[in-house]
Amino acid sequence: MDIAHSIQSIDFLTEFSESVLAYPIVLSTHLTCIALFGGMILATNLRLLGLTFKDVTITQMVTSFRSWKRLGGTVMVATGVLLAASEAEKYSPNPFFWTKMIVLGLILAHGAIFRRSVYSNTEELDRSPVIPVPAKVAAILSLILWTAMFTMGRLIAYWD
Amino acid sequence: MVLQNAIADALNNTEWAFALAECLHIGGFAVGIGSIALVDFRMLNLGLRQQTPARILRYTEPWTLIALLFIMFSGLALFSSQPGVYRINLIFPIKMYLLLAALLYNFTVHRKVATMEKPPPALSKFVAIVSLLLWVSVVFGGIFTGFLV
Repeated sequence: MDIAHSIQSIDFLTEFSESVLAYPIVLSTHLTCIALFGGMILATNLRLLGLTFKDVTITQMVTSFRSWKRLGGTVMVATGVLLAASEAEKYSPNPFFWTKMIVLGLILAHGAIFRRSVYSNTEELDRSPVIPVPAKVAAILSLILWTAMFTMGRLIAYWD
Repeated sequence: MVLQNAIADALNNTEWAFALAECLHIGGFAVGIGSIALVDFRMLNLGLRQQTPARILRYTEPWTLIALLFIMFSGLALFSSQPGVYRINLIFPIKMYLLLAALLYNFTVHRKVATMEKPPPALSKFVAIVSLLLWVSVVFGGIFTGFLV
């Protein structure tokens, strides 16, 4: 709790959380990332499941969006850190916040676990007559994790 | 009126119903705006360059429409739970006008240019930028509705 208090007492974070405009602008930017990059995540996962974009190769799908997803993820994390740090005392006992952080950790782990078999192996996936199981598992897990991510994000506000 | 009261009661009495409606609203716009953004990114030459914008639109339009239904129903439920609050909110009507503009634009100008065989590149890019700006402004409007009364 002391650490949380010290974090949110950092001058610029206090000014930020008390600002009429800065806080909602950063929160809106955080959500805009969901709006702009949510489609890319969904499209990639549905393609891995073989449900749509059938004449787009998995390689095209994954490589085309890779740098955009990284950019979106960076902005999301940067704005998220700012939002959480400015209200650290409110966030630190919040179970939804910590669940969200665990989900974030799982999303990073997901990327690392499936890198070799799916995300860096797309040409092999495209050559395969049927989409291999690991690719489908990766897609389903990704959809579940991202749904959990925004749901937990919203539920943070419901803890008092 | 009866329906509106029933929805308002459910959302006010069960905190989780309001939270669920909010989550559906956010999930809806992630898919709805996200799928429109896929077409915009292509029109800006920033993603899926091997496909035409028309082809991407054909794939994504059903998602956009389904997501819009989710957004509208969850949005209506949120509005019905406390109409008085939204009625006096200064930002909410601006958000609704922006939403109306974004919807009209999406199904007229945006659709027309995205499905053109060989649109002038400058036109294509301009139309995509306006589309992104409109949708982003709707998201900002939604957040500011909650912050500036």
